[in-house]
Amino acid sequence: MILLDRVTKTYGKDMKPALNRISLHVEPKEFVILVGTSGAGKSTLLKLLTREEKPSSGKIVVGGIDYDTLKDKHIPLLRRKIGVVFQDFKLLPQRTVFENVAFALEIAGMTNREIKNTVPKVIELVGLKGKEKNFPHQLSGGERQRVAIARAIVRQPKILVADEPTGNLDPKHSWDIVRLLEKINKYGTTVLLTTHNVEIVNKLKRRVITLEHGKITSDQAQGSYRQ
Amino acid sequence: MSQAKKKMSARSFAQQKRNKRRMLTSLRMVRYGVNNFSRNAWLTVAATAVMTITLLIVFTTFAARGVLVDTVSDISSRIDMSIYLKNDVREDDVATITNDLESLSNVQRVRYISPEDARRAQVDQQKGDQETLQALSEATNRLPATVRISLHDINDVSQLNSFVDSNQVYIDNRDTEREPSFAGERRQAIENITKWVSFAERIGGIATLVFIVISALIVFNTIRMAIFNRKEEIAMMKLIGADRNFIRGPFIVEASMYGFVAGVVATILGVVLLYAVREPLVEYGLPVATTINDTVALIGLVLLGMIILGILIGVISSYFATRKYLKI
Repeated sequence: MILLDRVTKTYGKDMKPALNRISLHVEPKEFVILVGTSGAGKSTLLKLLTREEKPSSGKIVVGGIDYDTLKDKHIPLLRRKIGVVFQDFKLLPQRTVFENVAFALEIAGMTNREIKNTVPKVIELVGLKGKEKNFPHQLSGGERQRVAIARAIVRQPKILVADEPTGNLDPKHSWDIVRLLEKINKYGTTVLLTTHNVEIVNKLKRRVITLEHGKITSDQAQGSYRQ
Repeated sequence: MSQAKKKMSARSFAQQKRNKRRMLTSLRMVRYGVNNFSRNAWLTVAATAVMTITLLIVFTTFAARGVLVDTVSDISSRIDMSIYLKNDVREDDVATITNDLESLSNVQRVRYISPEDARRAQVDQQKGDQETLQALSEATNRLPATVRISLHDINDVSQLNSFVDSNQVYIDNRDTEREPSFAGERRQAIENITKWVSFAERIGGIATLVFIVISALIVFNTIRMAIFNRKEEIAMMKLIGADRNFIRGPFIVEASMYGFVAGVVATILGVVLLYAVREPLVEYGLPVATTINDTVALIGLVLLGMIILGILIGVISSYFATRKYLKI
């Protein structure tokens, strides 16, 4: 599902590479946790996957799409195939829960009928039934993250990239979000999660990839957080 | 159904579907723009206020230019373009000279003032001043027989020059002691006035242009700041797969709405302002009536022009302001 072959990313000529000859293979329906200290290269890796950044060298193939041959005008189409969740939610503040989730379908040109059928089901799936008309500022942090997840999965992407989704949440809400991600993974979506939360990493017993100074230092099938 | 027909209908069905999606996307962009306009109350008020002031400046600049043009033409018409005839000139010669002058393309109007008419006008001006009146009644009438000429273009006196050199009736009847007002020493005075008039016109034109450019820059900056505040939103839209047009469209719709509302408000304020300053300007002797009358008579066009200008500035500003954030 995700293939990185000797990928290097350097931001400036005299700078150390943010990622240094990374090779990685993620199977479909896998749940992968990416750990590492700040500056280890996690965010850079995710930015390469969403094509916010181009690699300095190496090859990236996601869902069968080779990024080398990807034209700029097709990048929006690629991004519609990858669900993204951020630490700071990144919701549209002037739009309701329903509108925020529907937005992901509207940009793909889906009809109003399709949107009316799909969005309530996803809102129910993430446990926000009854809050469709609320604006983001009327929700708790955990609820906002659920809206972000609903928006990310409403197009039924094959891959969900979650960048520190629990970073701004208390332990209870953090676990709610993680359980939700597990549920989504169970339905067949490949999940790539970055986190600093030791407890979550250790309890999940999933594949854990550790990044240090731009390099993969460990890749464990049922791993734990290496301090 | 044949294979080819099936293929054709499948293709036209796909085309129909694409068109429908395009239409749906356009409607959504408009809806988002309208939503942004109505939900970002403070931003809407601030941006619309700046644009209103901008359009009001443009309106005022045009009105001021109208008044300037009227003032210039008023001054131009008062410039003394005169030729002088002998005091005992015959009426039929005056008629011939007047007709010959009127036939010149640059001549707007010709008026003959006999020495008696000139004296009467002088007496009228001095009413109440008994000493001067007494002096006038005792003095010989030395005022000349004058033909006063108004020109379309006061910068061009070539036709008049060739007239005074070649018209035989004029040459036979001219006052040999007085040169035409546009010749000799008086010519310099007229040239000075014309220079000032064309300078004022040019400055007025440049000022109009400068004001419009500055105003457009102010609006551009306001919209740029409004969009800068929402750059996170734009980044998010990009990341979930919105294409450039879908992101830019609502901003353009929103800015167009600022322009529309500002156009209407600025026109109303501008007309009110014109009426408010009419009296003081008239007291200063400025000819404002034509500008006010023209504005009121063409109020529909003025309103339309202001709205179009507002929308245009909004669209161009938001187009360029979003460009920076829409790079992949």
